[in-house]
Amino acid sequence: MILPIGPVHPGLKEPLRLKLHTRGERVLSAEIDYGYVHRGIEKIMEGKTWQKAVYLSERVCGICSYIHSQTFIETFEKIAGDEAPLRAQFLRVIANELDRIQSHLLANSTYFSIIEHETLFMYMLSLREMIMDAIELLAGNRVHMAWNVVGGVRQDAKEVHLKSILDILDKFESQYSKYPQMFEHGPLLGLRSKDVGFISKEDSIKARTVGPIARASSVPTDLRTDHPTYRDHLDFNVIWRDEGDNFARTMNRFDEIPESIKLIRQCIENLPEGKFRKKIDIPAGYADRRNEAPRGEVAYMIETNGNLIKNISIRTPSIMNIDACARYMFKDVATVADAVATYASVDPCIACAERVTIVDEEANKTHEIRGIHNIKTIEL
Amino acid sequence: MLDSLKDIIRKSSIHVCLVNTGSCNGCDIEVVALLSPRYDLEQYGIYFNNNPREADVILVTGPVAEQWKENLLRVYSKVPNPKIVVAIGACPLSGHIYNQEGSKIYPPLREFIPVDAEIPGCPPRPAEILQAILAVGPDAIAAKGRQKP
Repeated sequence: MILPIGPVHPGLKEPLRLKLHTRGERVLSAEIDYGYVHRGIEKIMEGKTWQKAVYLSERVCGICSYIHSQTFIETFEKIAGDEAPLRAQFLRVIANELDRIQSHLLANSTYFSIIEHETLFMYMLSLREMIMDAIELLAGNRVHMAWNVVGGVRQDAKEVHLKSILDILDKFESQYSKYPQMFEHGPLLGLRSKDVGFISKEDSIKARTVGPIARASSVPTDLRTDHPTYRDHLDFNVIWRDEGDNFARTMNRFDEIPESIKLIRQCIENLPEGKFRKKIDIPAGYADRRNEAPRGEVAYMIETNGNLIKNISIRTPSIMNIDACARYMFKDVATVADAVATYASVDPCIACAERVTIVDEEANKTHEIRGIHNIKTIEL
Repeated sequence: MLDSLKDIIRKSSIHVCLVNTGSCNGCDIEVVALLSPRYDLEQYGIYFNNNPREADVILVTGPVAEQWKENLLRVYSKVPNPKIVVAIGACPLSGHIYNQEGSKIYPPLREFIPVDAEIPGCPPRPAEILQAILAVGPDAIAAKGRQKP
């Protein structure tokens, strides 16, 4: 039988329809219906000046909003063949890692709420509020930081604020270490998570999974190792595991948080003096840029004439991870409750995953929406 | 007598359902932050269960996307009476940044379902959302419950 879940459902925070094919309680396979939050951001951006689109790029996704604006800005810096000052690059790393910590905590809290472990859910959200305070100290906003501009960051970080962030991190670390242990050694949590929603390394590569989902099934890919600031100035380990189940994905996110804290400490301690913003002229050109978002790889491909955006394509991590979840992880899950928990463990973020392709069934043609034209003017 | 007794019960147990109609998740995670021990929605007798059939308050985020044009009214009609709708963020009010040429959204929200409270902001802070729900929620539900159909 087919069991539909969603789009508005107690298990899901975002609208998406899961169609689970079940025999009894056992889930055999699944389909996923997207399309509930499509807004057409790429379409809006085309033909706008890039200064306007910076604001819009932050609103592609609310949870990992910071990395979207950073990748957008870095693409333009790549078109100009220039880089932001080193101080700005370090400040960007601080903001990026704070954002990663809060996103990982949120993802784990959602997973715990779905496996009905209310205690850890509350602990995760309580820890997250500390990091939100740190973000607010740095950028002035909680969610959309508006921290990047072409050629640097919007404002310099004050010494007092950086010190407060270090204090918050000290407090955070003193509380943090017991929660991964609670999850790792809790017998009931282990029963609910271990060997559930398994994806092998081969399937993981075939499905192009990215981020913590790929790293949890022994594909140690982390684009931060290719980023110039991380590669040349900072020292961190890529966390990866080989179990490939819900437990591994959650533990992988838990283990990445101390690495992020290590990176923030390195940045604040070695923060170079100098300018935090410089003038960069944008010529006409094309560039692409990839960065590691909390959920995996995010890529921007932008063509500009120096003023207006001619063409833009955004590749976000969630779409690969959710499809891998539907195709490989939902194979033979014991119960429907486990299937929903598996879905939550891939950290789905639907807001950035919506794309449109118009399919003409009679002519057997597909129209992809590309280039500068209005969606209403496409001739079918 | 019966009405005032019902008022007390209606005011002290409010169930909330979150409907995302194309938001960027920014407002949604601020609603989730309300559950955290710092804001603690449940101390006010408000419970977050995300099921329209059990809800008293629907929190709507996002500009109304294509799929929600008809479905929004269906979700609204499944919520039992008395019910109120709170629109969170700038998107349900005006479409905010997405309301430009080329987008596929249909704001404002109040053209589709009756809206009782609107909270502007991109996104509003959790304290503001909590304040709005508390200011409009219990009294409005009690007043709507007294209305004869």
